[in-house]
Amino acid sequence: MLARLAENLFWAGRYVERAEDTARMVDVTYHTLLESPYGEVEQAWWQLLEVLHLTPVYGDQPADAERIVRFLVLDSANPGSITASVTRARENIRSVRELVSSELWEAINDLHLALGARDLGQELEDQPYALFSTVRRSCMTVYGVASETMPRDDGWRFMALGRLLERAEMTCRLIDVRYGQLEALSGPSRRLITVPGELPRGPDRTDFHHWIAVLKSASAFEAYRRRYRASMDPADVVEFLLLEPDLPRSVLFCLTGAMHQLEALCESRPTRATRLLGRTVASLRYRDVSELFELGLHGFLDDVQNRVARVAEAVADEFFRHHPSGTMHAIAAS
Amino acid sequence: MRAPLTNDGRGRETPGLGRLPHAGGIRRTGYRLAVPDLLRVYDRGEHFDEVFDDRGEVRPHYRELVARITRLSPDDLERRERIRDGIFRAQGITFTVYGDDDGIERTFPMDLLPRIIPADEWDVIERGVVQRVTALNRFLEDLYVGEQAAVHDGVVPRWLIQTAEGYARAAFGIPVTHAARCLVSGIDLVRDRDGTYRVLEDNLRNPSGISYVLENRAAMTRVLPVVFASQRVRPVDHYGPMLLRALREVAPPAAGDQPTAVVLTPGVYNAAYFEHAFLARQMGIELVEGRDLVVDEHVVSMRTTRGLERVDVIYRRIDDDFLDPVVFRADSALGVPGLLSAARAGNVTIANAVGNGVADDKAVYAFVPDLIRFYLGEDPILPNVETYLLWEPEQRAAVLERLDQLVVKPVGASGGYGLVIGPRASDAELAEVRAAIGADPRAYIAQEVVALSRHPTLIGDRIEGRHVDLRPFAIAGESVEVVPGGLTRVALRRGSLVVNSSQGGGSKDTWVLDGGGDGTARVGALPYGSRHTEA
Repeated sequence: MLARLAENLFWAGRYVERAEDTARMVDVTYHTLLESPYGEVEQAWWQLLEVLHLTPVYGDQPADAERIVRFLVLDSANPGSITASVTRARENIRSVRELVSSELWEAINDLHLALGARDLGQELEDQPYALFSTVRRSCMTVYGVASETMPRDDGWRFMALGRLLERAEMTCRLIDVRYGQLEALSGPSRRLITVPGELPRGPDRTDFHHWIAVLKSASAFEAYRRRYRASMDPADVVEFLLLEPDLPRSVLFCLTGAMHQLEALCESRPTRATRLLGRTVASLRYRDVSELFELGLHGFLDDVQNRVARVAEAVADEFFRHHPSGTMHAIAAS
Repeated sequence: MRAPLTNDGRGRETPGLGRLPHAGGIRRTGYRLAVPDLLRVYDRGEHFDEVFDDRGEVRPHYRELVARITRLSPDDLERRERIRDGIFRAQGITFTVYGDDDGIERTFPMDLLPRIIPADEWDVIERGVVQRVTALNRFLEDLYVGEQAAVHDGVVPRWLIQTAEGYARAAFGIPVTHAARCLVSGIDLVRDRDGTYRVLEDNLRNPSGISYVLENRAAMTRVLPVVFASQRVRPVDHYGPMLLRALREVAPPAAGDQPTAVVLTPGVYNAAYFEHAFLARQMGIELVEGRDLVVDEHVVSMRTTRGLERVDVIYRRIDDDFLDPVVFRADSALGVPGLLSAARAGNVTIANAVGNGVADDKAVYAFVPDLIRFYLGEDPILPNVETYLLWEPEQRAAVLERLDQLVVKPVGASGGYGLVIGPRASDAELAEVRAAIGADPRAYIAQEVVALSRHPTLIGDRIEGRHVDLRPFAIAGESVEVVPGGLTRVALRRGSLVVNSSQGGGSKDTWVLDGGGDGTARVGALPYGSRHTEA
């Protein structure tokens, strides 16, 4: 297929996922803070910006909670905001309308139009939950429609690959933001899980609610309950979200799925992208969660994100950027 | 069936679309009259009417249609209009109007009453279009890779060719297989007061509109299936395969027997993007943008996920100016650098060919009948509209004398832009065009006003006469073929003579009847699709 269209589908997959996951993260942060006895609300929001790598975009605007939330949800100047992600997803799908079902186009277009028709600023003040759940559900509808209407050809594979890589990254960030916020909110006197090398045990009640919120934001709370019963150990939560092979939003699940798509796309040829991704999958699959805390969780999550970014780069080199050998013409064409 | 005769072409004061009462946001108020009554009050006016003859009788080839339509109740008619609207909206069949702020994408409205052309009339049109396109292809081939015989022999003045906007020196020496330079042409025809078909203009660069022909037909067979089936109408849906065959026929000799063809579009923001995508889908070939193509060693390839794939034929829907920034506008981001060098090397065929604009320049148009005689040794089957060349002092003087009775057109424009219709123009507009002609007489032509034929059309809750034209599409590969019918455009505004979609036009499904006689057949009496051989 045409490289440009493959790239459009890859990014459509990424942007829809980004919109959904940003909604999930803003939602979980917003609602845990409501229940938090601690007053360091601004700091918590700032940390969310940090794990999303958006502090450079945010710049030196005043870091008050309301402003940051608006920035994350509806600021068109922020390429990672929910509305910007939806717009870009729509633009990408619009460019491949000939390749996808009309239902898929309608699904993303409906979401775009719905967001455009709503007073998002007002809703953030009154009913943020309704807004976030609309975004979440609509994004899932987009994927549902794609999954039920697209033939399993290369176009589908590129879209799925983009979505899975994005979700893997975002789940890392979701874990990271809670982990970091716990550190901050707990304060130096109640260092539960702050010291690398120290496996945290037995959370107090506040942490308990925080981790429930994390699980819920990954739609994983019920599944966690069935697996671990009543126990709420941060190590278990991290293990579940990071290393569980059967949980659709776990990092290992996403990267394993991405590996399947990539191998099909490469027709089992060894490529730089498959090597990079395969190694990352292996490092997760054969990992013991206790090692992560020894290594330092934050550093590990960062490393996974960097690897995923390199995989995406390698995918672009492998499939999207073909130049003829003659450099003269390559320059003329660029 | 009689329509009252009047001698007032502008008709009585019946409300137009704009003055219809609006009820609760509903666009129309519903038909108050049944079809027979709508036709009884129909004002045929002083123009050639496609349906009614001079005595007000329904012409033979429309009798079956009128009989069928007459059975529809007002509710029925409205319901079918709603079905039609649903079909077009759902398919997103839209076009873009430039310089219009509100609602960039609009639907191109199809009138429920089709235009019907009997077989014998079509035979003339078909032969006339084939003849004209054949001569134009010969002329262009001779101009760019031949001896320029028509210029040497003084059939067309050399300076006129050299000053034509579409004349492209970059096209010299670029070969086109079978000389099919106008691979797709749209020849705009109008009918004058006595019903003679005349060529109004040739569109030889990127004629658009064929997608509406196909979509109109698809919609018509769903909205009025029984009415449609009662006639033996020649099909149009083989256009895609026809076009693909022609594209493959014009591939460079080196391309082998499975040449790869693509459609090249400026992108989703182009006014005709819908049609580009539609054609690519109909042919099952890739729809590419300039950035998808790359030229290396004079070979064109497209960037695919599996690497570079060679391209042999490009059906481009990008204007010459934007096609290749190395040769034309350097600031074009739409084109492909090096494309023309690849074509010149014989590694790719560009369709339509570069430089065709010289032949559809509106001043060169005036010479096409002579070109037909020169290259084919035949008399033109389809006459031109009487045209005056303004650089000729006597013609210019005569034109300026009666500017308020003529149409003035800029020679390089299309789409109805810049047109001045004398009888409708204000004194200020006339003064302006007079000054413009004085400043650059080569830039304009003047023509007699053709009182375009009219066709009954559903307007508001009425049936009113509206001016129509006809754009048949010809495809040239090894030979020239014309798609039966073509695009009938309707000037929806009362009295308007401008039918372009960009100027408030609509369209009609256009039926070419099969066989001779009135071409009708009862459903059931003859199996649908069988040959009709009666005289």
